[in-house]
Amino acid sequence: MDLNLNRADYLQVGVTSQKTMKLLPASRYRATQKVVVGDHDGVVMCFGMKKGEAVTVFKTLPGQKIARLELGGVLNTPQEKIFIAAGSEIRGFTKRGKQFLSFETNLTESIKAMHISGSDLFLSASYIYNHYCDCKDQHYYLSGDKINDVICLPVERVLRDVPVLACQDRVLRVLQGSDVMYEIEVPGPPTVLALQNGNGGDSGEDLLYGTSDGKLGLIQITTSKPIHKWEIRNEKKRGGILCIDSFDIVGDGVKDLLVGRDDGMVEVYSFDNANEPVLRFDQTLSESVTSIQGGCVGKDGYDEIVVSTYSGWVTGLTTEPIHKESGPGEELKINQEMQNKISSLRSELEHLQYKVLQEREKYQQSSQSSKAKSAVPSFSVNDKFTLNKDDASYSLILEVQTAIDNVLIQSDVPIDLLDVDKNSAVVSFSSCDSESNDNFLLATYRCQANTTRLELKIRSIEGQYGTLQAYVTPRIQPKTCQVRQYLIKPLSLHQRTHFIDHDRPMNTLTLTGQFSFAELHSWVVFCLPEVPEKPPAGECVTFYFQNTFLDTQLESTYRKGEGVFKSDNISTISILKDVLSKEATKRKINLNISYEINEVSVKHTLKLIHPKLEYQLLLAKKVQLIDALKELQVHEGNTNFLIPEYRCILEEADHLQEEYKKQPAHLERLYGMITDLFIDKFKFKGTNVKTKVPLLLEILDSYDQNALIAFFDAA
Amino acid sequence: MLLPVFTLKLRHKIIPRMVAVGRYDGTHPCLAAATQAGKVFIHNPHARSQHFSASRVLQSPLESDVSLLNINQAVSCLAAGVLNPELGYDALLVGTQTNLLAYDVYNNSDLFYREVADGANAIVLGTLGDISSPLAIIGGNCALQGFDHEGNDLFWMVTGDNVHSLALCDFDGDGKKELLVGSEDFDIRVFKEDEIVAEMTETEIITSLCPMYGSRFGYALSNGTVGVYDKTARYWRIKSKNHAMSIHAFDLNSDGVCELITGWSNGKVDARSGRTGEVIFKDNFSSAVAGVVEGDYRMDGHIQLICCSVDGEIRGYLPGTAEMRGNLMDTSVEQDLIRELSQKKQNLLLELRNYEDNAKAELSSSLNEADGHRGVIPANTKLHTALSVNLGSEAQAAHAELCISTSNDTIIRAVLIFAEGIFLGESHVVHPSIHNLSSSIRIPITPPKDVPVDLHLKTFVGYRSSTQFHVFELTRQLPRFSMYALTSPDSASEPLSYVNFIIAERAQRVVMWLNQNFLLPEDTNIQNVPFQVCFTSLRNGGQLCIKIKLSGEITINTDDIDLAGDIIQSMASFFAIEDLQVEADFPVYFEELRKVLVKVDEYHSVHQKLSADMADNSNLIRSLLVRAEDAHLMRDMKTMKNRYMELYDLNKDLLNGYKIRCNNHTELLGSLKAVNQAIQRAGRLRVGKPKNQVITACRDAIRSNNINTLFRIMRVGTASS
Repeated sequence: MDLNLNRADYLQVGVTSQKTMKLLPASRYRATQKVVVGDHDGVVMCFGMKKGEAVTVFKTLPGQKIARLELGGVLNTPQEKIFIAAGSEIRGFTKRGKQFLSFETNLTESIKAMHISGSDLFLSASYIYNHYCDCKDQHYYLSGDKINDVICLPVERVLRDVPVLACQDRVLRVLQGSDVMYEIEVPGPPTVLALQNGNGGDSGEDLLYGTSDGKLGLIQITTSKPIHKWEIRNEKKRGGILCIDSFDIVGDGVKDLLVGRDDGMVEVYSFDNANEPVLRFDQTLSESVTSIQGGCVGKDGYDEIVVSTYSGWVTGLTTEPIHKESGPGEELKINQEMQNKISSLRSELEHLQYKVLQEREKYQQSSQSSKAKSAVPSFSVNDKFTLNKDDASYSLILEVQTAIDNVLIQSDVPIDLLDVDKNSAVVSFSSCDSESNDNFLLATYRCQANTTRLELKIRSIEGQYGTLQAYVTPRIQPKTCQVRQYLIKPLSLHQRTHFIDHDRPMNTLTLTGQFSFAELHSWVVFCLPEVPEKPPAGECVTFYFQNTFLDTQLESTYRKGEGVFKSDNISTISILKDVLSKEATKRKINLNISYEINEVSVKHTLKLIHPKLEYQLLLAKKVQLIDALKELQVHEGNTNFLIPEYRCILEEADHLQEEYKKQPAHLERLYGMITDLFIDKFKFKGTNVKTKVPLLLEILDSYDQNALIAFFDAA
Repeated sequence: MLLPVFTLKLRHKIIPRMVAVGRYDGTHPCLAAATQAGKVFIHNPHARSQHFSASRVLQSPLESDVSLLNINQAVSCLAAGVLNPELGYDALLVGTQTNLLAYDVYNNSDLFYREVADGANAIVLGTLGDISSPLAIIGGNCALQGFDHEGNDLFWMVTGDNVHSLALCDFDGDGKKELLVGSEDFDIRVFKEDEIVAEMTETEIITSLCPMYGSRFGYALSNGTVGVYDKTARYWRIKSKNHAMSIHAFDLNSDGVCELITGWSNGKVDARSGRTGEVIFKDNFSSAVAGVVEGDYRMDGHIQLICCSVDGEIRGYLPGTAEMRGNLMDTSVEQDLIRELSQKKQNLLLELRNYEDNAKAELSSSLNEADGHRGVIPANTKLHTALSVNLGSEAQAAHAELCISTSNDTIIRAVLIFAEGIFLGESHVVHPSIHNLSSSIRIPITPPKDVPVDLHLKTFVGYRSSTQFHVFELTRQLPRFSMYALTSPDSASEPLSYVNFIIAERAQRVVMWLNQNFLLPEDTNIQNVPFQVCFTSLRNGGQLCIKIKLSGEITINTDDIDLAGDIIQSMASFFAIEDLQVEADFPVYFEELRKVLVKVDEYHSVHQKLSADMADNSNLIRSLLVRAEDAHLMRDMKTMKNRYMELYDLNKDLLNGYKIRCNNHTELLGSLKAVNQAIQRAGRLRVGKPKNQVITACRDAIRSNNINTLFRIMRVGTASS
């Protein structure tokens, strides 16, 4: 059966955070439900739809930004009490809008995530997790990295409290009281957790997770160990996952999986006979989908997916057809409703426009006086700067509540800005005078009308570090721009991992000196991405990293006065050495740096690069042949006369070209890294081999693994 | 929602822009398109049994209803249409860099095959002005040529630069068609037969032109811009990061008015309203669009819009029916409208809140550090801009300079300048490092061409620690001749070349013109007539002198013939001069031109000699091959080997000869371009009728190979003394 959903916009509120919209339980099966939504202005709004018009049930006064909104109530009764987290406070409302709870948690950080189960309240701020029962403090846990979401397995089914934290360091932490029961590594930084089918599935222990790089998975949390059930990799390179819900929208009696992503994608997965998810439906909205839930809002009897977006739109994707097949009179009535809505909006706009004009005049007048000040309107920018593992590039996503006019990208390190197909903005690179003004990249993106979201792709070079700045100018009056800064770290292509291969030949860099644990930690934060800014608890800490481009690894272990860095890639060690000694000199700290170079590691790294290089060379060669072969094909009519190898190229032509397009400049990057490796190898020996680089490039041009290794050995 | 009525997938690639639909047998519309390896394919889905089979045409081995036509050269333009009205069916015209072929597909015969030295970059078929027979007009290297069905050259014209696009359109509404020419120097020129009636300057190479209705026409540029002109005024334009591959006018929503259909390099096809540029329909192909054409491809009496992709996918769309009420996209219009209105409401509310916040901020205490961080600045902050000429220093070449400063202690974080045609991209950014921030900024600007440009400035103003900045938006115009600095008159270095003419204008008006078009220092005070002003070019240090005598006689001394032309054209439009005859002499330039003309002759003779050599060699090859095969049959392997060795050497010689021919040809093209440009430049020194007379007379002089007359015409404007 084909799933056909039609979009209907209900209402717009202020900017919304993740998981801040819910549907109140219906009074009976398939009756219309009320929607509650909380926004950044601190307003909680509850409304229902009547004849296509949004009718407000209640609306609170503005306050602090609402970070989460959940429903709760006594267990095994309808969950219709509304709880919101704003700042460090939890407030509760009845479905009529009466406030019955205001609980100041006294947390030093503002609350980021919340889960409610009966009278138990599970909260997490950036690093702190707290469990309250009847507003009394029960358990506490300090996490090593940022907590993105918190959930608890259904207590009525598993008969114990099993809170699970989704932490930024790619780990789900399963707690028992105040302690970690065990950790589960997931393929990306988890951003959202949900219970399978809304109740934990058959066992009550099935937990869904979504990651910021767009992966989705199901894990069963048993008492002793986790069982990975399935995982959906993000093949289509869609956005990160922000919300998950289970609802039977297909109507086959099995709950489907509803997923909302930060690139505006709404997806429906249904389950096949083997209980594996299959994509059934997808639709893009133009902005981040912050909350999603299945239910019935627009018209009773028609199921729909209700979503809220970043700029505050509450939208339904409904099974109700737009054009009904009942008589022609009906259609006219629908149109009438629309017309009414439009005309009321228009009159409202006129009124507003008049008011704005007045204010604008006042503002203009104030600019004549010498004492007056002019503040810039604040607007919120939702940004995300992440490393993609697949092509070792960074993607920068900027989203603003109103349309973007232009974005200026400035960088003081050499980086490449790549084209993203999804963008419609016109990019223009400006010449830059790098010596006097530290500009290595100046580019403007002029956006088309109604663009609220801009995605950029950036390729960095390891060893060159600095700051990338984005000046975002939206289309609001008075015109203003906001600057956002992103650090390009020295080892920018490294990614946190939890397991490394200890059998590889390693080079070691040891630091000793009069520095504190926190100081050394700050240097590690400076050099490597995905390290929590806060120094972890304990005296000694170990982090593992993986180079996303070459798959080499780095192990860093440090404590007060000593740090040890081990990597199988000499270049990594060389970069660390340069950066750390520079940093230490800047802070006038006396550092002893010693290193131990393992000759075998160079050969090992070259061997790691070999398959990638060979593949790329072959690919380039094949792609070059495609056009000529196609011409032969047209000329001769068939391909029987070709050798099988060429025939194979012709058959795979489209695939090859796609693959080639996907990795622009891949070969150049590999060449660059081999050259670095070559220079670094001899740098540690104290010889400068820059003069031999042209010779190396010559060898690379007619690549042969043995010749290359021999050259490395001989030079 | 409009869906394609048919979709075909041909297994032939299509070269962008080389697509045409014609009724080559008089009844069945067939699609012709250029494909790889110098071939043209003709897709004929109607008569399956009937195939053309002859030397030139062969059946495609990949597809049953496709025939291939061998051109053996890269096709550079393709068109189909009625060339000979008596024939009753369409001819197929194929242009390459050296030839134009008019082909009768039905009878498999050539209508004519002409060598065209200037190449054929673009082609259009139709009637032009008062010329009765339909012409195939090709545009090449600075030249335009029109051929009738016998291959007679009935129309010949030069234009400013290499032609990239052509269209026929009734530009002035007189019922006759004018020729629109888009060329590499960013100009769209309109020719009413031999006369240029209008010239519009765009910002990039004009890649496509298409007539819409009446005097309206669509255009596309190589930087991703498409738009619509009505006569000389631009109606609307939009810019995309993709490139428009093909544009076509078609009434897709059946409202009686054509929409502009654009096929994009990313595979998108969209239809935009001719009035507003609003998108009324869009569809996507998996690869770049190669061409957009129309024809009754299903033979049911309805014209379809036919879009082809480079991978050979072809889709046909029927215009929307009346019931669809122009609603061709799947989203409902009302929903969109509501969304748009709501968005507007949110924006207004936001703005209102900003003013409220501002009012609140005003009540609080005076400026402090935190305010600066949030981007609060004094309300009376003003931005001053000034344009001047900077003569440069050792480190920096001379340039025009834009100085921006704030009226108080606020700093300028960055300046974005959006302007067309003077920067590499569409914008230029100045972003000083954090240590060099100040309240004023000097921006060097060096426009590569003498054109007036609007500079749209966006200046980010705030404090050193701000994370939010005010954006001041303003527009300044850069005068046409901003790259010329005023210098004191110095008769010694005065250029020998000059242009001399008389205008009936008061001196004050001339001073006004000077002020508007040059960056004069503020204290410049020009005394009464007669006066003289001198300028130095910032680009190459060339001198420019403008002298005005009491009688209204103006002399312009400069060695740069282009600059002289620009000045005269600028004056003509400022003083609304309709016709202007001038006397000009550019000894240096003319001498160069003379050399070029001599070279052209040389290249021509070399070309002939090389062609003769090639013919000789091919005869030799034939005989060698026969002898080698004879030896083969005689089993005289040694002789055969020798013969083949000789053949191999000869082949190498041929290849070398070919390379020489190629080089010779490119140089010939370069020289021809220089000649064509010289005629164009001589024309630009005059205005109105004298301009056309000069161009026509120069053309005749070149035809009759009378070099002395040519120079005479360039000097005084006429051939007769």
